[in-house]
Amino acid sequence: MNLSAVRQLFTLALLFAIGASISETAHADEAGTRALLVEIVHADGDDARQQLAMEGLAEEGDPIIGTFYEAYRSGNIFIKKVASSDSPLVLMKDNKDYTNLLTGESVTPSDELKPSRAGRGLRKDLKRLVDLLDLSSPDLEKRIAAADLLGKSQNPEYLPELKARLDKQTDEKVARAFREAIYICELKSGSDTEKLAAVKALGEMKSLPAKGFLETVAKEYETSTEPGARALRESTRKAIREIDDYQKIVGHIGTLFRGLSLGSVLLLVAYGLAITFGQMGVINMAHGEFIAIGGYTVYLIQNYFVNTFGVGSSAYEWYFVLSLPCAFLAAALAGALLEKGMIRFLYSRPLESLLATWGVSMILQQLFRLQFGAANVSVSAPQWLSGSYSFGGVSMSYSRIFLVAFAFLVIIVTWLLMNRTSWGLHVRATMQNRQMASSLGVPSGRVNMLTFAYGSGLAGLAGAFISQIGNVGPSMGQTYIVDSFMVVVVGGVGNLFGAALSSLGIGMVDQWLQPILGPVMGKISVLITIILFLQFKPGGLFPSRSRSLDD
Amino acid sequence: MNYHSDIKAKLKGSLTGLLALASLAVSTVQAEETVKVGVLHSLSGTMAISETSLRDVLLFTFDEINAAGGVMGKMIEPVVVDGASDWPLFAEKAEQLVAQDKTVVTFGCWTSVSRKSVLPVYEKYKNLLFYPVQYEGEEMSPNIFYTAEAVNQQAIPAVDYLLEEGYKKFYLIGTDYVYPQTTNLVLFEYLQSKGIPVESIGGGLRKDDDGNVISAGNYTPFGHSDFQQIVAEIKTFAASGDACVINTINGDANVPFFKEFAASGMTSDDCPVVSFSISEDEFRSLPAEDLIGHLGCWTYFMSIDSPENKKFIADFQAWLAATDVTGVVKEDRVTCSPMVLSYNGVYLWKAAVEKAGTFDPEAVMAALKEGVSFDGPAGTVTSQENHHLTKNVYIGETLETGQFSILESFENVEGEPFLKGTFK
Repeated sequence: MNLSAVRQLFTLALLFAIGASISETAHADEAGTRALLVEIVHADGDDARQQLAMEGLAEEGDPIIGTFYEAYRSGNIFIKKVASSDSPLVLMKDNKDYTNLLTGESVTPSDELKPSRAGRGLRKDLKRLVDLLDLSSPDLEKRIAAADLLGKSQNPEYLPELKARLDKQTDEKVARAFREAIYICELKSGSDTEKLAAVKALGEMKSLPAKGFLETVAKEYETSTEPGARALRESTRKAIREIDDYQKIVGHIGTLFRGLSLGSVLLLVAYGLAITFGQMGVINMAHGEFIAIGGYTVYLIQNYFVNTFGVGSSAYEWYFVLSLPCAFLAAALAGALLEKGMIRFLYSRPLESLLATWGVSMILQQLFRLQFGAANVSVSAPQWLSGSYSFGGVSMSYSRIFLVAFAFLVIIVTWLLMNRTSWGLHVRATMQNRQMASSLGVPSGRVNMLTFAYGSGLAGLAGAFISQIGNVGPSMGQTYIVDSFMVVVVGGVGNLFGAALSSLGIGMVDQWLQPILGPVMGKISVLITIILFLQFKPGGLFPSRSRSLDD
Repeated sequence: MNYHSDIKAKLKGSLTGLLALASLAVSTVQAEETVKVGVLHSLSGTMAISETSLRDVLLFTFDEINAAGGVMGKMIEPVVVDGASDWPLFAEKAEQLVAQDKTVVTFGCWTSVSRKSVLPVYEKYKNLLFYPVQYEGEEMSPNIFYTAEAVNQQAIPAVDYLLEEGYKKFYLIGTDYVYPQTTNLVLFEYLQSKGIPVESIGGGLRKDDDGNVISAGNYTPFGHSDFQQIVAEIKTFAASGDACVINTINGDANVPFFKEFAASGMTSDDCPVVSFSISEDEFRSLPAEDLIGHLGCWTYFMSIDSPENKKFIADFQAWLAATDVTGVVKEDRVTCSPMVLSYNGVYLWKAAVEKAGTFDPEAVMAALKEGVSFDGPAGTVTSQENHHLTKNVYIGETLETGQFSILESFENVEGEPFLKGTFK
């Protein structure tokens, strides 16, 4: 054993002594925790040493462990060699700033940084530790997640800890999570009476995570002839049934929300087309490319924010808010140019407009390829849009909730524009009879341009939202163009309210059919349903007499 | 005037004739010194994004071999044709290569459907095709050599690793076509043979009238964009812990899948996803922060720390910087498994030609079947009797940089195409 190893062992022992004494006096000590974390990084490759340090950490309870775990996980821990000492400095990177892990002071990094990585096993241990510490986290959500994970481990060692903390929980949701965890633990390690009580309680709680564990219990006692096995078997079956029934309800509510959210995506992509095709009668095949313009605008703004402020900075969080109006304006501008340069010559020739805009669509796709490359580009979500909101077993991601809310906002704003402003009056007049409106003094040329620009702008907004949930690439528009036309036709060409209703309807039907038939057959069935529907109602949900149909 | 121009025209004519003769002479000389080799990939259409990289690496390999003296003293003359992501066109182009250009070997194809459509051409002309991309197996044409990963060189080691890590529930998801369907069916049998009960294999089953399972897992169309329902199902499936996802989704549908997965609050520490169709090359368009810690399994990773691999990457980058081939993207290029398997394929072909002493495709195939080896960037590869390769398999986890950090490696795994029904 060489000198440095001896010294390290000695330091370790010292650290342990410090750690132990502190955990007796105060619960958390930052300096001790930091020293142990540094030890873990230094001991990279030496499992036994790391294990020792981990045990020491368990005695501590500082929230810095959670921060460290996140940084270790995402490759933000670095080692810096120091000439004067054997043990290198350990740096933690947060956004663009580095701090010395041992002291917490901020450091200016130099070039000789070597990233340090956690092995999968160590990371799992760390995660478990963080979860355990989260049991006393001030953040209630974290506390619930921690209890949930500990319960699932079914490790009887956690039982005393969970039980001791249960009484202190004032929040009903947290207390429920603790009870659930205790019962799930007892399913494995409890006595028969404890198990029976746990099974009954879990059934009454309708605990979804418990289902798998209950099934294990049911199997275990399937053939057992011991006294009490029968009662346990029956109540387990009953509990599973109760949970199943509840799961079905949750499934339906979830499907309802997912239908709403898919409907909102369809609505956003199709609403612009409902205006340009439905109202103005232009078969705009380049509509999908306006969606792509919106997506690429978000990408550019994201890159600008990353380069100027850095990922994770507070300013970066706002990039998506800024990119919404930009995406709208960029697509609207492109729409206005297209209208001025081409479409205004084609108002009386809808079939030519189809071919011409199809050509524009291909030109735009090629331009995207030349500018941004053939590969899709990656757009990441800001912190406040990632994650999900859980409610009684139904989870809805924030980006989807935001999207649904925004879709409704678009419907309302468009309705107000069309029905409550003089511009809207002009639009409706021009759409009904262009010549007549023009002869009555409506500037029909400008109205046409602005209406087309507004429709295109909505497509740009749709692209901005799609960047958060899907692909941004040169051919992204192609994915949505068919859906858009489908929505407009089913809703009734020329009727904005119809388009809104049909997009929500198609979204719902799609999500209802998917779990039953699978995604492929589900999609096919939706299309067949639409074909049948149009057989009986060729004009769509709300057939209207628009100029384009009269011609 | 007329007279003069007439002379001029005659002179011009004879001059062109002479030139043509001269060039003919030159070309016959060239023909003796070169050997024609076909490159058949999609350089346009949906698959271009992946397949163009293979064209690039093949051209690089030919240049490397030519610079070192060629194959049996002859320079490789590549004939590059574009399959255009159009499967019948692949067959036409293959016929053009073999019958018209008289190529002695072809390196090409990415999708299984393109391979299936050119297969009859190679069998008819008794020519030779090297196929470099992971595939579903259940095929062994006498005229195709598969440098690709067979299912037991990718999916099965990955599942072994997950079993070892203590995962007990497996959710299967993929794009609806032959590779995911076959792979998942093999995995379904394999998992059961390892004692995983049917109810712990998620994604759904489809049975025929006799009750035999004909499809396992959940399938989406190409380019699927709405994964809400599937992710909700995975979340329920994983609710009781120890679950993982086996992902054979192909192409850009991975982006909405991983975004939805991350938004649902699941991380790679709760429920890891192991993907078989995402290599370093695909990461350029994936949201890397949503993929941290998820797993990949290939027979090559760019992060392999060996002198051979470092040299390969450096030489390829140098070639990229120097090349004047049109359409080669020079920035931000990475190397990935299909590229290295193409590279290995060319060198194996060279070794087999030298062993057989002839370019005749059938003799070369016979030499390959006897076994030739090449020390590639990912270690030594050896050709087998059954037209597949023995090679190392690596399991890696995704880093935020879009590279893999290698967790485990399996040495010298033999390729076995016929797996269905072998696990009982």
